[in-house]
Amino acid sequence: MDALSRRQFIATGGGALVGVGLGSVYLASRSTAQTGFLLRPPGALPEDDFLAACIRCGQCVEVCPSDVLRLADLDAGTSAGTPYFVPAETPCDLCQGQTSLKCVDTCPTAALSRVEIRDVDIGEAHICKGKCLAYNGTVCRACWHACPFPGEAIVFDELLRPTVHIDKCVGCGLCEFACPTEPKAVEIVPRENIVRQRTLLQQPKSRNQRRQRGGSS
Amino acid sequence: MTRPPRRLRMGLLWYRRWTAWRRITAIVFLLLLWLGSTDAGAAYFRGSTSGTRIFDLIPLTDPLAAIESFIAARSIDTTALIGAALLIAAALVLGPVFCGWVCPLGLLFDLNSALRRFVRRRVFGIRTIDPMPAQPPQVIKYVLLGCLVGFAAVAAFPLFQIISPINLLVRAAVFGSAAGLAVVVALVVLEWFYPRLWCRALCPLGSLYAIVGRFGLLRVQIDPAEAGKVPCQKCQRTCPMGVPVMTGYTMQGASSVTHPNCTRCGECTQVCPRGVLKLSFFRFSARETSAGRCDRCDHARAAGDISLPLMSGASK
Repeated sequence: MDALSRRQFIATGGGALVGVGLGSVYLASRSTAQTGFLLRPPGALPEDDFLAACIRCGQCVEVCPSDVLRLADLDAGTSAGTPYFVPAETPCDLCQGQTSLKCVDTCPTAALSRVEIRDVDIGEAHICKGKCLAYNGTVCRACWHACPFPGEAIVFDELLRPTVHIDKCVGCGLCEFACPTEPKAVEIVPRENIVRQRTLLQQPKSRNQRRQRGGSS
Repeated sequence: MTRPPRRLRMGLLWYRRWTAWRRITAIVFLLLLWLGSTDAGAAYFRGSTSGTRIFDLIPLTDPLAAIESFIAARSIDTTALIGAALLIAAALVLGPVFCGWVCPLGLLFDLNSALRRFVRRRVFGIRTIDPMPAQPPQVIKYVLLGCLVGFAAVAAFPLFQIISPINLLVRAAVFGSAAGLAVVVALVVLEWFYPRLWCRALCPLGSLYAIVGRFGLLRVQIDPAEAGKVPCQKCQRTCPMGVPVMTGYTMQGASSVTHPNCTRCGECTQVCPRGVLKLSFFRFSARETSAGRCDRCDHARAAGDISLPLMSGASK
């Protein structure tokens, strides 16, 4: 058995070297400017760290009390088996104000880490003024009523038009779910999109000048 | 009249007792996973093969998933560590029982081989023994295990948790993620041409359990007094993993089967006509070796009226 164990050891070591090579190829081939990130559960690590730590067990999806979270299928590529949610269909209600978030509690790894409700940063709500009823002469306060932090994350101006305060917005998507327009006038942009865009903006030749926001996430 | 012994009263159920228990444990595990996907059941048992939580408290983590996650994320999380430690401790005592008793893919492969046997005999009418393909090189799966760990270290990514057919099968059964089923179907098709190629030569999780469970106490024990008296090869013909139980161990005077592909499923012990094998933590005691054993073969051979299969053509 000793000879076999040594062979195993050598084989595993050789395999590790091959894996290191493959990993380098994978890293080199991965595009730096990805778009269309998924909305992660509250408390998720930054996307790359999340994908590294998540073991794809799906416990968060099963424990979610409002059946918000979904499990990405194999066609999601590197995100296969990870949790995400679609706020227009199932917004995250942050466990309805309970003291702890169920998905974070059950996560066996650090992929979802403990976080205060107000510090949750799933993404940011963006209001499209062209589609928003309030900006087009109709009184509508659907997003304000849905927001878990009304008056803080979503505030009205003197004409009852909503504005999102991104440093207060947790990205739960309740406003997107409540928005009566079709397509939705308010949309959650995943945190990762914003972070990547910001790094792109800091680069000298970036064409993407659309969003210039102060403050840090 | 004395009551007949239990093995006669129970009939087929006694004859296939280990198979029955294995089916029960694997199906119960799948049912529990399914239970976790329901709203009511998630509080008692939830997760998938890469990580589960029992009673909202006890974590169980696939050791390979934990290793990959720890290396990829460069941090060790206590919950995953406890969960992996529990399973590794279990494997240290029980050997790689996950493969034979729990793995949903193993259950699928077992049912598939039963179907394969049925089709072979009843549909095509082939009555000859279906030889199990020889053991593929063991090195491959250790290389793959190393590959995955190296990949996790450099690419910071737990690759196996995405492509593992075990996870894909569970995801399809529990979460309804159908895209991964193609991989599982491909493996099942492969089973018809090369049985257990995945389990024996590829599965990195199985190889990790084989390494950890190498010195497990639960083993197929061999009765030294009876070993090799009836070289019928039933044990190695019935072994789902193609372990050469008779030619490699029983006839070689080994006291237990130590092949890395032995999943402690117990299939060989139940078919042995002489009770030479048992799945147990303990070796055969002197009292056991001569206790109430069927000796019809001995009489028959002594009388010369049946020809017992001999060792000719035994592989390895």
